[in-house]
Amino acid sequence: MCHHNHIIESDLISRDYDGGVTAKMATAGTTLFELHRLTRNQWITHYKQYPPNVSKIYSYFECRRKKGSQFSEVVFFGLQYLLKKYLIGQVVTEEKIQEAKIFYQMHFKQAVFDEESWRKVLEKHDGRLPIRIKAVPEGRIVPRGNVLFTVENTDPDFYWLTNYIETMLVQMWYPITVATISREFKKILAKHLKATSGGLEGLDLKLHDFGYRGVSSQESAALGGAAHLVNFCSTDTVAGLLMAQRYYGCPMAGFSIPAAEHSTIISWGRSREKEAFERVLDQFSSVPVSVVSDSYDIFNACKHIWGDELKERVMERNQDSCLVIRPDSGDPAETLIEVIKILGERFGFSLNSVGYKVLPACLRIIQGDGIDLSSVEEILQKLSDEGWSAENIFFGCGSALLQKLNRDTLSCAFKCSYVETNGKGMDVYKQPVTDPSKGSKRGRLLLRRNSDGFLETIERGAGKPEEDLLVTVFENGSLMQDYTLEEIRKNARLRDEEVNPTLHNHEQELLHKHIINGVH
Amino acid sequence: MITHYKQYPPNVSKIYSYFECRRKKGSQFSEVVFFGLQYLLKKYLIGQVVTEEKIQEAKIFYQMHFKQAVFDEESWRKVLEKHDGRLPIRIKAVPEGRIVPRGNVLFTVENTDPDFYWLTNYIETMLVQMWYPITVATISREFKKILAKHLKATSGGLEGLDLKLHDFGYRGVSSQESAALGGAAHLVNFCSTDTVAGLLMAQRYYGCPMAGFSIPAAEHSTIISWGRSREKEAFERVLDQFSSVPVSVVSDSYDIFNACKHIWGDELKERVMERNQDSCLVIRPDSGDPAETLIEVIKILGERFGFSLNSVGYKVLPACLRIIQGDGIDLSSVEEILQKLSDEGWSAENIFFGCGSALLQKLNRDTLSCAFKCSYVETNGKGMDVYKQPVTDPSKGSKRGRLLLRRNSDGFLETIERGAGKPEEDLLVTVFENGSLMQDYTLEEIRKNARLRDEEVNPTLHNHEQELLHKHIINGVH
Repeated sequence: MCHHNHIIESDLISRDYDGGVTAKMATAGTTLFELHRLTRNQWITHYKQYPPNVSKIYSYFECRRKKGSQFSEVVFFGLQYLLKKYLIGQVVTEEKIQEAKIFYQMHFKQAVFDEESWRKVLEKHDGRLPIRIKAVPEGRIVPRGNVLFTVENTDPDFYWLTNYIETMLVQMWYPITVATISREFKKILAKHLKATSGGLEGLDLKLHDFGYRGVSSQESAALGGAAHLVNFCSTDTVAGLLMAQRYYGCPMAGFSIPAAEHSTIISWGRSREKEAFERVLDQFSSVPVSVVSDSYDIFNACKHIWGDELKERVMERNQDSCLVIRPDSGDPAETLIEVIKILGERFGFSLNSVGYKVLPACLRIIQGDGIDLSSVEEILQKLSDEGWSAENIFFGCGSALLQKLNRDTLSCAFKCSYVETNGKGMDVYKQPVTDPSKGSKRGRLLLRRNSDGFLETIERGAGKPEEDLLVTVFENGSLMQDYTLEEIRKNARLRDEEVNPTLHNHEQELLHKHIINGVH
Repeated sequence: MITHYKQYPPNVSKIYSYFECRRKKGSQFSEVVFFGLQYLLKKYLIGQVVTEEKIQEAKIFYQMHFKQAVFDEESWRKVLEKHDGRLPIRIKAVPEGRIVPRGNVLFTVENTDPDFYWLTNYIETMLVQMWYPITVATISREFKKILAKHLKATSGGLEGLDLKLHDFGYRGVSSQESAALGGAAHLVNFCSTDTVAGLLMAQRYYGCPMAGFSIPAAEHSTIISWGRSREKEAFERVLDQFSSVPVSVVSDSYDIFNACKHIWGDELKERVMERNQDSCLVIRPDSGDPAETLIEVIKILGERFGFSLNSVGYKVLPACLRIIQGDGIDLSSVEEILQKLSDEGWSAENIFFGCGSALLQKLNRDTLSCAFKCSYVETNGKGMDVYKQPVTDPSKGSKRGRLLLRRNSDGFLETIERGAGKPEEDLLVTVFENGSLMQDYTLEEIRKNARLRDEEVNPTLHNHEQELLHKHIINGVH
């Protein structure tokens, strides 16, 4: 089932995504791309527009609160990748300055590029960015409407840099949103697994990342894949594993099992589906295997091929070499109920410690089509209503995990909140009369835990520095923190009340009041 | 895919697969723009792809990942030894920029050396990602059709059409690479963009030194950093700094209507009227209901600055003043806005659009039902057409056998299955073979292929062709 090719793959992690590294590309190399890629065209012209004598621009990033949103909290993840890949060390060189100058002359059809200021970065700071970024530790769960990271210039001459790198940093919306959605899946799976089996064994293998082919690029696959691995360790997205290895110090963040695909089944021809199935069983006799079974007729395959012709071969296997049958079409819930009924009839079942039906250990099902947060809830509920344990089933999720999301999903925004001019600080903000929810925070920000134990953001430079949970992660070209996936996973693990929702009503009421009162 | 080599029937010598945007009942998109393959080929597939070092790394990696040895070291080393690490694969494709109705083959992939049948579907995952540039280019072109229709109707011509939709998507896309790909796809139809990465992609992979343009612009931070009481000073600064080029100024930081009525429309009115078409002010609202806010804004500006009537009787603001709406824009809101403007007698010349997520992120592989499927296999020297046909979903059925794309007697594109059809009719072109790039399309050619056709600009003049096309689609030929 492991998609994509490490051979081709490993290049894309070590190269930049413009691919300018190898000799075969007869172009100027990576240098040009880096400087431009950091920003949007119009940002080039901003240095001329700030008030005179500005010496500091301080901006922040948040996932704005939104009435009616199903997501009340977010998982912070992905900044370390951006820092390591694009921002640390020497970012500016004379060559890049020259290339950018020519490029922007063509693009704006006039000279707007601020060559002088960039050369100052080179001369004064060896091409390293005089910027400070403070952030919530990665993996931390933070309620919506709180500051997640702040950016400011450390040298008054470079006030314009803060918003220059804004565009790239706004792309933090993506790994944050994937990690958040992935964790929401985990809550649903945990709830049902606990209820229908009495425990949480195997929870982190329950949602397999199938998103590689449905994502918009290799780099997105890597970022999204790694974000999923914060919560699970089951994936087909090799790029995510490589990202976790290279940027988050985890040699192997996820696992997979051998799997058939439609081409490996249909290449035998319609009349030899049984031979195709058998081949998989033979080739992988001592490990779990996944076999897609809907090429022609999923019900026939389950009833007659698996359930009759190959039944003995299946029963020979055990838990460590189980067959995982994969439907891949039709209404997800209905098809699944039908399939598990058929398998229950053909293979029998036992009752677990809490009275739910479990197929023999040699047999499981994986549903990888049409899975999103609502269908997975629906399916597990239906299974439970029919008396089946969640132990019987695994899920694969593609687009809904890695692609069907956007910056509005968690209302992510990067805004300026504080400015220093002529040595005087001023809290700034936007407050459009046409949309109050687009208002931004004011002044210097601090994230702390209040007396009820909840996270809250203090504005206008108030609050005590020692309470600040934001940590300096980048300063003047250097990485100041190096989080491992292990720590991040620990920070992001499910809390008791998320696994046992009924046992913690009191805390929930407090949290709810807190949110209503706008403190969160 | 690592484990697939063990699962194919014995003695398989060829696996032939294809990519299509499956037809889907009720979809608003009946045709697609083919774009982006050349990037993938140049970046990931041409030349020497396999080295001994990579083989060793992969071996270790997959041992950890599957917790057992499944990596086919031997076969990869064969690629290295027999073909110098170059991929023995042939890819044939529709020329880039071509418009193709849904349900047709767009490209095919097959191994050229019988020992490497497993390679075809090995590179599948990367090639399925073609869904993205195809979908962005297609959606971008759908925007163009809407804009062309309204521009033609309310101004009599199409001047400036390719600057009407500005790509604002950089910050809302999922990664730098996606920004580059999506940005380049938009540039197939327009040349107005903020997404630098797309320009660089077009430069590097499609031979276009500068595929798009932009104008200096304010952003909320450059306005609010002056403080609430100095919005006018902030605005004035932009006008001063960029006095001889067009400038865009976001004006909703506090109150867009106040900004238009009192600051632009009164305090700075003379400064604005000093400017001309080549240095026009482009006011940018950025919140509230897009259509309603816009109508209100253009009314206020019309009252403050006056307007003239163009040759077809629609109102146009003075040449020094325009509006850009970059918030909440998608295919339906842009249609709604232009219709409302037109109903109120305003020309589409007054307005530009910026589109972010709806152009580059709010789309997925299901938007155009993109799929990559195996359709033909050779075993023991014998060819066999293969396919899937799930009883649970007939629309997921795949094509059978070797495929050919041709233009039929009515002039429409159609796919011939099962190896039928005459080779000389085949519109698919070999673009990659055994490690070499066989075609090198430029953005210029691609833009030419993708340009709007007469009937897309003048929808009423070509009913006959439309009927034919419609019949064609209904009969399932497309």
